[in-house]
Amino acid sequence: MLEPPFATVLKPYGRALVELAREREEIVCLSGDLTRQCEVDLFEQALPDRFINAGMAEANMISIAGALARCGHLPFVHTFGVFATRRPLDQIVNSVAYPNLPVRIVGFMPGVSSPGGPSHQAIEDVALMRALPNMTVIDVADAVEIAQAVRLIADLPGPAYLRLKRGEIPVLFEDDHVLSLDRAQVVRPGDEVALVASGMMLPAALAAAATLATAAVSASVVNVPVIKPLDGATVLDAAAAASAVVTAENHSVIGGLGSAVAEVLAEAGLGRRLRRVGLRDTFAEGAQNAATLFLKYGLGTQTIVDQAWSALGRNDPPPHSLPSSAPPGEYSPV
Amino acid sequence: MRTGEAADTKRLADRIRLNAVNMVAPHGFGYLGQALSCAELLAALFTQAYRPERDRLICSPGHYIIGVFAVAAELGLLDSASLDTYGRDDSSLEAIGTERSPVVDLVCGSLGQGLSGAAGFALSDQLRGEPDARVFALVSDGELEEGQLWEAAMFAAHRNLRGLVVVLDANDSQVDGPVSSITTIEPIAARWESFGWAAFEVDGHDADAVAGALGAAVAEARPSVVIGRTSTVHGLRCLPPEADGHFIKLPAELARAAVAELEGRLA
Repeated sequence: MLEPPFATVLKPYGRALVELAREREEIVCLSGDLTRQCEVDLFEQALPDRFINAGMAEANMISIAGALARCGHLPFVHTFGVFATRRPLDQIVNSVAYPNLPVRIVGFMPGVSSPGGPSHQAIEDVALMRALPNMTVIDVADAVEIAQAVRLIADLPGPAYLRLKRGEIPVLFEDDHVLSLDRAQVVRPGDEVALVASGMMLPAALAAAATLATAAVSASVVNVPVIKPLDGATVLDAAAAASAVVTAENHSVIGGLGSAVAEVLAEAGLGRRLRRVGLRDTFAEGAQNAATLFLKYGLGTQTIVDQAWSALGRNDPPPHSLPSSAPPGEYSPV
Repeated sequence: MRTGEAADTKRLADRIRLNAVNMVAPHGFGYLGQALSCAELLAALFTQAYRPERDRLICSPGHYIIGVFAVAAELGLLDSASLDTYGRDDSSLEAIGTERSPVVDLVCGSLGQGLSGAAGFALSDQLRGEPDARVFALVSDGELEEGQLWEAAMFAAHRNLRGLVVVLDANDSQVDGPVSSITTIEPIAARWESFGWAAFEVDGHDADAVAGALGAAVAEARPSVVIGRTSTVHGLRCLPPEADGHFIKLPAELARAAVAELEGRLA
């Protein structure tokens, strides 16, 4: 694992998809009028015969992708997360998930990473996709994992939803990092509180663990790139080793990572105090930039620290998180 | 199957009706009206246009699958004995089509999705360079109320998906009553034409006219639609005038009368 501030790169997904598609002719790329924003302008330029712009018609795009998959194509479908999940939910259910077809739905701009208002913020996409039988749900943290995720999901027999940050993508992991679709990963050991994070919240969870360490509190950090199927064993091990658990997700606390972890803990009968950091059952309004929204709605390092402190039953003031060493807005910004 | 009894599309249409009556009768109610309205459309499609070994068939409104099963059994594409299991526990012949439904390449229970699926099949043919492939999609007029259908219609015309043929059962029937009383979908042909499709409008109970329109449709160099004007009570005089076309009640006595009427006509 690298140390912050993390360098950022552009279009790791778009490059990885083109590279894989050159090897695998069955891959086709669909875009819903957000081609450059979803990094697949690279695909359109490199492999125009296999690029299909479906326009602003997401329901049709999803059902077409399902039919293409029935014919042996391997469709990767691209738009923002809101339009990839909310709008065509019935089509995903009937044209993709129920027939268990290998359609890859790639939704960009997760949670409050967009200051574009509730219409553009995918705050329940993980919950919606997690509820569908057959669907794999992935929320990766960095450019190294993104490149590997493209190859790994290509070989899944059924459908997958891949949730991706738009724009600058941080590089958290060394080149030799290995992403697994089956295993979550303890990226920092600790035995008092387990911080379980996905996607854009991993840098904040790491910063929170470092902050807690300054107050002599030992926090583990578990990176959960695959929210469904969840690696319950790794989550349970980390939780059992600690006396409290804090989840962190750039998503509603209802139905996403926090809910998935709660289900695993409860079904195992493992009694640990649990705090879920994420959007507290609210839409997010009123900001010029994403960093403000992350702060305003409690999706930052300090919130994770405070929740860990509370879950540990501490009554003294929690430590203050150090200012981020990254420029605002570059990656998980607060 | 283009010889003997099956070549007689008018007769085949009544065989579809008889099969549908026998499938619905044990339940006392069901999607009989759909089979009655699309009987000639399916009879002509299956004998004059659709080539099961080469083409793809989509049944967009899932409850129309009764008509597909009924015609397929007549043509040897489905075991006739299996019709007795229609709508029963553990049968693959579910009353609203599922992934387990035989005969079709795709059936959609959630309405308005079938044309997108058909466009996807036709797009695959285009990407693979198979110009002779045909994709037939049975669609109901109520589905024209769904926005997704028009998304698909625009997409198909924009991509010039030749070989894509919609067979539209315009029976003016949906759950709450006549389509025309709920939403204005007319002028149907002009709407499709304005989206870039070739449109052929016929009496959907005139099997020869349907066959002719299908022949013209498959010859088009662009996506095309055959609009069949139909009725959900056509071909069964014994049905009461107030019969609900979406979900016809068929008590035992009425079922016996229906079987007698159809067998009499087929004798």
